[in-house]
Amino acid sequence: MDLFANLYLGFSVALSFENLSFALLGAFIGTAIGVLPGIGPVATISLLLPITFGMSATTAIIMLAGIYYGAQYGGSTTSILLNLPGEVSSVVTTLEGYKMARKGRAGAALTIAAVGSFFAGTISTLLVAASGPLLTSVALSFGPADYFSLMLLGLIISAVLAQGSIVKAIAMVVLGVALGLVGTDVQTGQQRFTFGVPELSDGIGFVAVAMGMFGIAEIILNLERPESRSVLTNKVDSLWLTREEFKRSIAPVLRGTAIGSTLGILPGGGASLAAFGSYMMESKVSKFRHEFGTGAIEGVAGPEAANNAAAQTSFIPLLTLGIPANAVMALMVGALIIQGIQPGPRMVEAQPDLFWGLIASMWVGNLMLLVINLPMIGMWVKLLEVPYRHLYPAILIFCAIGVYSLNNNVFDVYLTMLFGLFGYLCSKLKLEGAPMLIGFVLGPMMEEHLRRAMLLSRGDPMVFIQRPISATLLAIGAIALITMLLPALRKKKEAALAEG
Amino acid sequence: MKINAKDVASGALLIGIAVIGLWLNQDHTLGTARRMGPGYMPMMTFWLLMGLGAIVLLLGLFNGPDRLERWAWRELTLILASLVVFALLLESGGLFLSIAGLVGVAALGDRTHRPLGVLGLMVFLMALCWFVFIRELDIRVNLFPVFLGMG
Repeated sequence: MDLFANLYLGFSVALSFENLSFALLGAFIGTAIGVLPGIGPVATISLLLPITFGMSATTAIIMLAGIYYGAQYGGSTTSILLNLPGEVSSVVTTLEGYKMARKGRAGAALTIAAVGSFFAGTISTLLVAASGPLLTSVALSFGPADYFSLMLLGLIISAVLAQGSIVKAIAMVVLGVALGLVGTDVQTGQQRFTFGVPELSDGIGFVAVAMGMFGIAEIILNLERPESRSVLTNKVDSLWLTREEFKRSIAPVLRGTAIGSTLGILPGGGASLAAFGSYMMESKVSKFRHEFGTGAIEGVAGPEAANNAAAQTSFIPLLTLGIPANAVMALMVGALIIQGIQPGPRMVEAQPDLFWGLIASMWVGNLMLLVINLPMIGMWVKLLEVPYRHLYPAILIFCAIGVYSLNNNVFDVYLTMLFGLFGYLCSKLKLEGAPMLIGFVLGPMMEEHLRRAMLLSRGDPMVFIQRPISATLLAIGAIALITMLLPALRKKKEAALAEG
Repeated sequence: MKINAKDVASGALLIGIAVIGLWLNQDHTLGTARRMGPGYMPMMTFWLLMGLGAIVLLLGLFNGPDRLERWAWRELTLILASLVVFALLLESGGLFLSIAGLVGVAALGDRTHRPLGVLGLMVFLMALCWFVFIRELDIRVNLFPVFLGMG
């Protein structure tokens, strides 16, 4: 079968010495930042983007992917041992995981988190491998109008699923699209919004935006909050599960894998939503739901499987359609574009090494994480003793040198600073940065497809509803938007009634 | 009326950006829907942004209360200033001096720092950055100040 031949190719790429070591490095860094609160995968990947320029595209993506799913593993460790989620996606794990640790079952919780994640990772990697070529062949029949609608749908869903107010999230997406307009117009060569600054003629630097919004702003926010890390660590006893614990975990892991794989594909979804969804489901359907809140293993097994599955499947829209599902995937698009690769359906054919190599490396990386995490847990917990005051100057200096090295130009450092300020302003106003980043990445592509579609249709906008694919995508987008707005309206009404 | 000050400010910010964008966009030819000029997409984007900003602002008048938060001016200024110091020092002062400058200014942002600790951190980061960026990645940048003639 083709799949096996392709997987064989993938493994031969992933198991090369260079790719193997960078996958390990990525998994290692990912675990570290997963353990450390205050620095997440988005900031780390934007920080390391400049470093990847010297590598081949495949190696770069393999390492960056390792950071992303490594962070899902690392985040669970501190959630269980210290009640301190290293990542947003492992907040849910603290609920039951920390309770289990207090009951003396820290080892079991850690093991089921790692094993559940590994199982989910394996299944969802296979899913990526199977669905990739399938979706790609569908996407190849897309015309410019369909592409435009697809990207619009992606943007709508990423705004709908974002935290907080939907209108604000949509506004941030549009703001991102607006930022993407800066630079030379591709068709006429005219400079737009560049203020005559030559550095802006290629557009606003993607790395500067991401680093500023997620790296620099985050540092300032962390500094204003007083540090509160408990020194009390739960002892890790035996890592083995009892037979009963094992039996109780099987169904939640399976359900978590299913939920995670599904939610991961949706734009704006990703790991944290998946973990939350799985917890909600387990607390409703589990036979042991009465134990929830007192350290039920189901509440660890399900969400941990779900967040890892989602981390893997969120690569599907990126690899097959070129559409980033979340901020991390937007960074991956940035990394690919910088490498001269346009992500999209042609990538599977044009870059089979990259596509299949990445898929194989995901599985290899998950295996590595199992090894990195379980026996070395003591070391990761030690990492928490590094105080933030030693960490943030290091992050800053890496940001500064990294962004400078992009074009050997200090202009990019100033740009990063400005976006740091803007990111801080946004977080004070509860404006989300992630939708903006996705809009920023997709904006220029959308404009190109829109202009091409309108040229082909001789200026008739009806083309977007006349083509069946485009019409379907737009309909889904409209439904998503309306359904998410309705409960908000209803809640408003209820609140108003209660007051009256 | 419960004013959500955050949303009102957000709305005003978005409208402000949209107005500036539309004003700047006057320089670009719009073209027609069939042959869009460089100004067409910006025009649509900024009008949409203005509309959304207006909705955020109007809703903000009722969906509060949510006050504006205090800003950590000290930390904000110091962190941003440390980047400026780095950028100013880099080309003439060399990498090591600009690392020292960045770390020195940024360290003021956390009151628990001790002078000796900061010094140690500077030396450590200089060594680390030399290893990563100069030895491994071979970035073209002066290491030492130009006026010392060692570049």
